[in-house]
Amino acid sequence: MTAIEHTVFIIDDDPSVRDALGLLLGVSGYRTMIFGDAESFRRAFSQDSGKACLLVDIRMPGMDGLALQKWLLQSGASLPVIVMTGHGNVDSAREAFRAHAIDFLEKPINQHRLLAAIEEAMARQSIIQQEHERNAVFTELSRTLTPREKEVMAMVVSGRHNREIAESLDISSRTVEVHKARVMQKLKVDSIAQLVRMSLGVSSDKEA
Amino acid sequence: MPMIPVRTMRWTDALVLVLGFIALDRVSYFHPLLGLNITPWDPAPALGLVFVLRFGWNSALLIALAIFLGDAWIRALPLTVSAALAVLLSAGYGVIGELLRRRLKSDDLFIGRHDLFEWFAIVVLGTFVISAAFIAALSALGLIPEAQWLAAFVRHWIGESVGILVTMPAIWLIYGERGRALIRLLATKIETVALLLATVVALWIAFSVGAESEFKYFYVLFLPIVWAAARQGFAGAILIATVVQIGIIALVNHLGFSAISVLEIQMLTVVLAMLGFFVGVVIDEQKRISLELRQTLRLAAAGEMAGALAHELNQPLTALSAFATACDKLLEQGDTGDRLKEAMRRIVAESERAGAVVRRLRDFFQTGTTRLESLQLEELLTASVEKFSGRAGRDGIQLTLAPVPACVLHGDRLQLEVVIRNLLSNAFDAVSKQPADGRRVRVSARTEGPGRVCVQVEDSGQGLSSAVAARLFEPYESTKSSGLGLGLVISKAIVEAHGGSLWAEVGEHGVFKFILLVEGDAAHDGH
Repeated sequence: MTAIEHTVFIIDDDPSVRDALGLLLGVSGYRTMIFGDAESFRRAFSQDSGKACLLVDIRMPGMDGLALQKWLLQSGASLPVIVMTGHGNVDSAREAFRAHAIDFLEKPINQHRLLAAIEEAMARQSIIQQEHERNAVFTELSRTLTPREKEVMAMVVSGRHNREIAESLDISSRTVEVHKARVMQKLKVDSIAQLVRMSLGVSSDKEA
Repeated sequence: MPMIPVRTMRWTDALVLVLGFIALDRVSYFHPLLGLNITPWDPAPALGLVFVLRFGWNSALLIALAIFLGDAWIRALPLTVSAALAVLLSAGYGVIGELLRRRLKSDDLFIGRHDLFEWFAIVVLGTFVISAAFIAALSALGLIPEAQWLAAFVRHWIGESVGILVTMPAIWLIYGERGRALIRLLATKIETVALLLATVVALWIAFSVGAESEFKYFYVLFLPIVWAAARQGFAGAILIATVVQIGIIALVNHLGFSAISVLEIQMLTVVLAMLGFFVGVVIDEQKRISLELRQTLRLAAAGEMAGALAHELNQPLTALSAFATACDKLLEQGDTGDRLKEAMRRIVAESERAGAVVRRLRDFFQTGTTRLESLQLEELLTASVEKFSGRAGRDGIQLTLAPVPACVLHGDRLQLEVVIRNLLSNAFDAVSKQPADGRRVRVSARTEGPGRVCVQVEDSGQGLSSAVAARLFEPYESTKSSGLGLGLVISKAIVEAHGGSLWAEVGEHGVFKFILLVEGDAAHDGH
């Protein structure tokens, strides 16, 4: 059974379809929130709605599914999206996937595929959230580094050897070793590889 | 080309052939040259040919018997001479009949102008050969003096060919089941009575008023036959040609015309009959083509409808399977309370909704008719335009719907949505070639006189030249099933099925308009 806080937002202009999907996903253990159009969803949506995903019909009056997907992407929300369509064509499928849709489901919808897609969406969001949390911890820990340690870390991450670092900072290789050990201890990482990965995650987060 | 199989002849058919042939021979035995069967009108071979066409060349044996009996009874020729002539003539009719039978494509004697010309050529050339052989044989037997060979040949050839050309289509019609049904149908129409009266009047004018002046008024007879052909097609032309032929023969006998005059009149009659047949065949051809076109259009419209209905069907199906899966899960969880009952109730409701969509599609395919309901024009336009708002936003098109006058239409919502969708889709295609700030599509409507409303879809595209606008609605202009092409033809067909009209206007920018009928009292300008 899926944990209670997992929310599925359902947007469809057909009342029967959204009621049916709402009931099905509710019975399957998700919290559901149902909307008749994209606008009312946008008003209700906040970035920190916990673990959630969006199930949206592509063709709706007003703002359609693809436009909503783009809006989410632009506003930096990491909400996974599953797109439904009455008559799938290649163009709209491509657009949906380019905007990082988890799946593109053709109506009438296969319930197994729907549930699988939602599970995948939730799983992907868990990974994203874990990463977010880990990055937050890492950023917090890196505040405790001294300026010299930060310098050394930057050079280690960019792949320089101890000898090169020692030369450019005008310190002994032995001292570089000591700084490196302290950095790894403070940031609670076990290997240089992990250090590199963590710091890349943080920097890519900042870019986004 | 597969040949039409011959039917098996029953003994009643054989009796009809022999007795009918002798009867026609007797009736048309006037102005005989030298007491031989050389008359200005000889319809008996027409009956013989119809039998060869229907029952195969074996009928020629019966024709030979009939000719032999006729010559022996009517003309009292020596039996050996009768037998020789019978063999000669029946062989000739057998060959012509077989030639005609091989090109027969259906139950119709001919379909289209080309067939008519072929039939005409085979009959005229075939009787030419038969007459030449017949006269040569009679001469060889010493029955025709040398001086009269040519006159005998001309009289026989004209008598034979006119007899066949004018009478054969009528006999063909009477002898086929479909033909008889056609005749019964014509007989029930008041117009047929009027036509027959007109023919009688025309005959009277031609023969009583015009007789004194060399048939100056013979042309009056062309009026009823052209009228009949134009209105009732080939069958009407056959009917009037037969009446005219019988009338002429009766009148020339009654008035005691000379053989030469009768020959001349017969030449005129064949021209008259052929003109009538030609017009009739062309009219039938056009009717058939327009029927085929309507059928094609209906299929194409049905295809568009099926697309729209399939979309409608997807919604209840999606809901159905979701409700059913939910029920399954509820049962698994041991929840048999109100939630389960509600879901089951919804399943029934959704099935009914899907059933209604299917029924509608079936109705459309079966009858081509529409499901009429009362529709608010504003609702219809708003819904259709809203479906395009997403695409408008993506393509940077400014899509506006002007205030719609309040009126209620009587029509099929889905079909009318197909029309508006087609027009909007065309307009979007037209403006997509314009610079980004010049892409505008505007939908508006205004009441147009009492009981009519005109909906207009304008775009800021290139507009249409008069040449394009004229060709726009021809179905074979484009093979596309959407966009500018069949889409417009279908839209036009749908609007016309609703009693309205749809057209494109020539101009600097694109304008498409269609008029729909508005329900009686509800038609007045906005509240």
